[in-house]
Amino acid sequence: MKKVLEGSQAVAEAVRLAKVQVISAYPITPQTHIVELLSDYVTTGKMNAKYLRVESEHSCMAALIGAQSAGVRTFTATCSQGLALMHELLHWASGARLPIVMGEVNRALAPGWNIWSDQTDSLAQRDTGWMQIYCEDSQEVLDSTIMAYRLAERVNLPAMVVLDAFFLSHTYEPVDVPEQEEVDRFLPPYNPVFILDPKHPYSLSPLVTPNAYLEMRHDIALAMEDALAIFDEVEGEFARILGRRYGMVEEIDCDDADIVFVTSGTVTSTARLALEELRARGEKVGALKIKLFRPFPVEAVRRVLGKARKVIVVDRNFSFGASGIFAQEVRAALCNSPGHPPVFGYIAGLGGRDITTQMLSNIYFEVKKSEAPRRESVWVGLQEVNRAT
Amino acid sequence: MQLEAMDRELMCSGHVGCPGCGATIAMRFMLKALGEKTVMVLPACCWSVIAGPFPQSSLKIPVIHTAFETGGATASGVRAALDMRGDEETTVITWAGDGGTFDIGFQALSGAVERNENFIYICYDNEAYMNTGIQRSSSTPYGAWTTTTSGSDWKKLRKKNIVEALVAHRIPYAATANIAYPEDLVRKVKKAKDVKGSRFLHIYASCPTGWRIPSEMSIKIARMAVQTNIFPLYEVENGVNYTINVKPREYLVREYFKLQGRFRHLSEEDLDQIQAMVNEDWELLLRKAGEHA
Amino acid sequence: METPTALQNILYMPRTSTTTESNKTGSWRFLRPRYEEKTSPCSVACPAGEDIARIEMLITQGAFKEAWETILLENPLPGVCGRVCYHPCEGRCNRREFDAAVAIHTMERFLADAAARNETKPALPLQPATGRRIAIIGSGPAGLSAAWFLNILGYETEIFEAMPAAGGMLRWGIPAYRLPEAVLNAEIARIEAQGVRIRTGEAVSATRFEEMLKSYDALFIGCGYWRDRPLDIPGAAGPGVEDGISFLREIRGGVKRDVPGVSAVIGGGNTAIDVARSIVRRGGKAVIVYRRRREDMPAFTEEVQSAGEEGVEIRELLAPVRIDAAGGDCVLTLQPMAIAGQDRDGRGKIVAAADAPVMITVQRIFTATGAGAAAPWHTPPVPGAPEAIRGLSHCVLVQDDRGAPVVYGGDLTTADKNVTQAIASGKQAALALDILFRHGAGAMRDRLASCLVGGGPSLSLEIYLNGPRRERNAHIVAYEEINADYFQYEPRVVQPRLLIEERHSSFDEIDLKISAHTAMREAGRCFNCGICNGCDNCYLFCPDVSILRSRDMTDRHIDYDYCKGCGLCVVECPRNAMTLDEEGTP
Repeated sequence: MKKVLEGSQAVAEAVRLAKVQVISAYPITPQTHIVELLSDYVTTGKMNAKYLRVESEHSCMAALIGAQSAGVRTFTATCSQGLALMHELLHWASGARLPIVMGEVNRALAPGWNIWSDQTDSLAQRDTGWMQIYCEDSQEVLDSTIMAYRLAERVNLPAMVVLDAFFLSHTYEPVDVPEQEEVDRFLPPYNPVFILDPKHPYSLSPLVTPNAYLEMRHDIALAMEDALAIFDEVEGEFARILGRRYGMVEEIDCDDADIVFVTSGTVTSTARLALEELRARGEKVGALKIKLFRPFPVEAVRRVLGKARKVIVVDRNFSFGASGIFAQEVRAALCNSPGHPPVFGYIAGLGGRDITTQMLSNIYFEVKKSEAPRRESVWVGLQEVNRAT
Repeated sequence: MQLEAMDRELMCSGHVGCPGCGATIAMRFMLKALGEKTVMVLPACCWSVIAGPFPQSSLKIPVIHTAFETGGATASGVRAALDMRGDEETTVITWAGDGGTFDIGFQALSGAVERNENFIYICYDNEAYMNTGIQRSSSTPYGAWTTTTSGSDWKKLRKKNIVEALVAHRIPYAATANIAYPEDLVRKVKKAKDVKGSRFLHIYASCPTGWRIPSEMSIKIARMAVQTNIFPLYEVENGVNYTINVKPREYLVREYFKLQGRFRHLSEEDLDQIQAMVNEDWELLLRKAGEHA
Repeated sequence: METPTALQNILYMPRTSTTTESNKTGSWRFLRPRYEEKTSPCSVACPAGEDIARIEMLITQGAFKEAWETILLENPLPGVCGRVCYHPCEGRCNRREFDAAVAIHTMERFLADAAARNETKPALPLQPATGRRIAIIGSGPAGLSAAWFLNILGYETEIFEAMPAAGGMLRWGIPAYRLPEAVLNAEIARIEAQGVRIRTGEAVSATRFEEMLKSYDALFIGCGYWRDRPLDIPGAAGPGVEDGISFLREIRGGVKRDVPGVSAVIGGGNTAIDVARSIVRRGGKAVIVYRRRREDMPAFTEEVQSAGEEGVEIRELLAPVRIDAAGGDCVLTLQPMAIAGQDRDGRGKIVAAADAPVMITVQRIFTATGAGAAAPWHTPPVPGAPEAIRGLSHCVLVQDDRGAPVVYGGDLTTADKNVTQAIASGKQAALALDILFRHGAGAMRDRLASCLVGGGPSLSLEIYLNGPRRERNAHIVAYEEINADYFQYEPRVVQPRLLIEERHSSFDEIDLKISAHTAMREAGRCFNCGICNGCDNCYLFCPDVSILRSRDMTDRHIDYDYCKGCGLCVVECPRNAMTLDEEGTP
């Protein structure tokens, strides 16, 4: 049923429909609406779940590791500082092969305190073994969260569904909320592969010496590889029942594009508008939306970008001492493709600053007249600041 | 002595605990009291290693090893999940060392008991970070040598009173226990099992390796800790009702200290001062229990 | 909950599937514990070598019959000893240093009384018949004991007793208020029921003795000291002066003789006390006159104390000088004595004081200054040069060409003349004869030595018969070796007694019986020094679950595959029944 929902609500609705049984929550702007809504669902009986009002995000994730290990479907949401605090346990969750799903609202990292949209927080966790799914609008957020459970439970790895702070979390959009019965057909009840049960006692996550650790890590790597194929299967099943799919990447006008933007999150929406304008002016420009960041869709990226003459990556994030992170990943994907196009990396919108169609347009024209990138990363919209005070 | 507990063992031989390890004795008694319908959350501590390397386990109950700080939080999750699965019989416990309880794990513990999570948190206390090589924790007693309080820098700060800190949360049940008093320990574990809400047990567990005592003295030293009033045996219900379980014969503190290598450097004046501190703490406890010295 | 999916077999993750039991941590050991029982000081002090620590353990467990049988294996007369023994065991009891000695004496009596009341028949390890016959002369404690042990060892035994009833001093010398007749009769009946033949009213003359040397395979002489030693002072043979033992015999024989007025009793041993206390019960007042000090009196301390409670007056440091008759009374002249240094036996050496003699007038005087052998052939030859004479600690064994070997025992040979020493001598005689017959005289010293309890001098039949007690280490457990942390202060039982007034009016037994509950509680105070009572501390405190128990919980053993040798079991054994050796010690 179509409703007008805030992005946060879309997350909450998905969690409800997925029949999550244990939720842990610690508030951090702008995730708060998600956890408030879920608290309300549990209190009013819209959801049959236990809601743990833990005392920090680290404990959030610890509680879910415990709950998931004891055999139930779990959920939490966080962002920025909270996600950073969870870091140790993100590694733990994947190492423990637990299909936890988390809503991650992309928010800038302090200092200074900045609660607005920025991707550095989630991307800084890219090594933790979590699958990462980036969303462009609230419908996608809802659908992706439901699909994330199916995907995670099939490969036994955790997944985070990422949405931009305020641009998605606090913006109202029309969303088609599926019926419970439809979701039930798509998402069967959680059937754990291992479980804490006194009838079959064993220890989880004990000491592991060098002669076994390598193989366990390799198993995680294999699971991530499997996730690429299984992602498509899952989307296929979802599409059959609910009629929508997104693809791990989405090509927008790439077939004949000379220059292709690589975007993620809400920036993709802005890019669509910019593309309309540029195409109207005859520019051969396209965009590649990256939805699935982990595992990184290397083949798809190579296939699509291989056709282009230049690639522009717009990163709303930065890895200090290196470059924008999507740019790094794209460069890594392309580096072994003979004759691959140069990758122009642009850094924009950190800390929630607007990324406008004008900006994208300017970037386009700059790249169009450049043979090669003048530097690894170009920061867009830098203003003069008063350093004296 | 006769323990009012099962004969069957839920702990195996072949574990790598040091000879005379108090933590293993504590675990054995606790398991006998709780029985097999127990799930254990095991944050980083000596027992993380004693529990055995993959693929072995020295425990015959389900165990989830977790990160150091997470004892209270992980148990909250396990409990919630078991309840959602309709299992309200299985007891959820956290079994943590002093480091993971007093220091790095304190936040999660405080948070869990403030929420009155329905689990038993058991801290076995060997009074330092023994697993990593005898470094000081806030549980290390006044006067002790550790590898990070060595020489003239021996610890000149009091041991944190963890039970009182948790009693302040008004939890339904808190108690101290000691491996040299197995009947008392078993009674308290069984009592805790039947209480709902957050329950905390603080078990004194000697460490021959870290305390520089001969392995065969583990129990004797543990007993002396009670007999000198250094580690009184008591229970607190609902954060208000104190019951002191053992009123020992008068033993001087210095007899306890002189038997342990970790206190060897203390002078007679230091020991006098410590005796005064122990007396003061004991009198405070008596007052809380409504008794007089 | 659904069963796990097949994926479980595919995930390679940190999850356990087996136990640590494949890790044999026994290889860590450099010290090795083991169960090793040791010797309790009480059993060493007991002249009969009773296995007291075990007896108390059995009482605590309610196994009264087995406890009683444990006594009978070392001492045939628990009902007697539980009343008249001077309980040196309690004097060495380690519990003394904790609060108060265990009332072992009271426990022994309790067991005997319980067995008698229930008419229990003991099961003892009777050895196969040897076909030899042994004659025992005298049915006092020495003779009864010799007969009892010889009977167990497979010998046909016959006791010859001159008096009309058996028991010797037990019947004729110890008053009924200390040893009731019914108790003695029951003990003797049990000895007879085992197969010992007692022929009362059959005195043995010197001639008959010579005949017996030819017709029996061995003889035991336990005739005791039945000739009283009179006072060697003027007037000692006069009217009003009687022998104390005859007086006691008279009362035991049923004569109800009153002794009104004041009677003086001269002497300081148990006989003097027995006479004095009997006088009290026959309506008189008794004054004991002793030439040394009270603390030098050979009488048992408790006896002296009881006498005092009953109103017996003790006048010390007074030696009798002469006795004069005066009307129907006796005037006793006494020289005050003084202590000048010490005698060889540690008692004060007395010399006449400078004071003038004192005179007391009494209605009669009883002498109880010692006794001697009734006939010359009772007296054993002095151990010395001749090969044929062996001086054992409690007996003398003579083997010559006159015929059968003869063993002298009881008061005739023991250094201290009392019931329990007599019993010990009977046992020693029995063992010595058995060794003589089976292995020859040359083996006697070593074989007897191997049965000593904790280095001696007491012997144990159980050890002789290679019972479990043979495995015990002879090391005597000291109080410092007991882990007293496991014991609480508990007052020693106070055996109820007749009130003083009640005591005066009859010869009824003074100490009253105790309940089984009281006995078990008192026996529970025993540390059980050196023996395992199944307390399970070892099992409970083992950090490595390396102490295993048999299904019925009676047996414990150490699993050396895993034992790391931490030593906790040994230290926490409250009673030193374990030992820690260096690993590799055979």
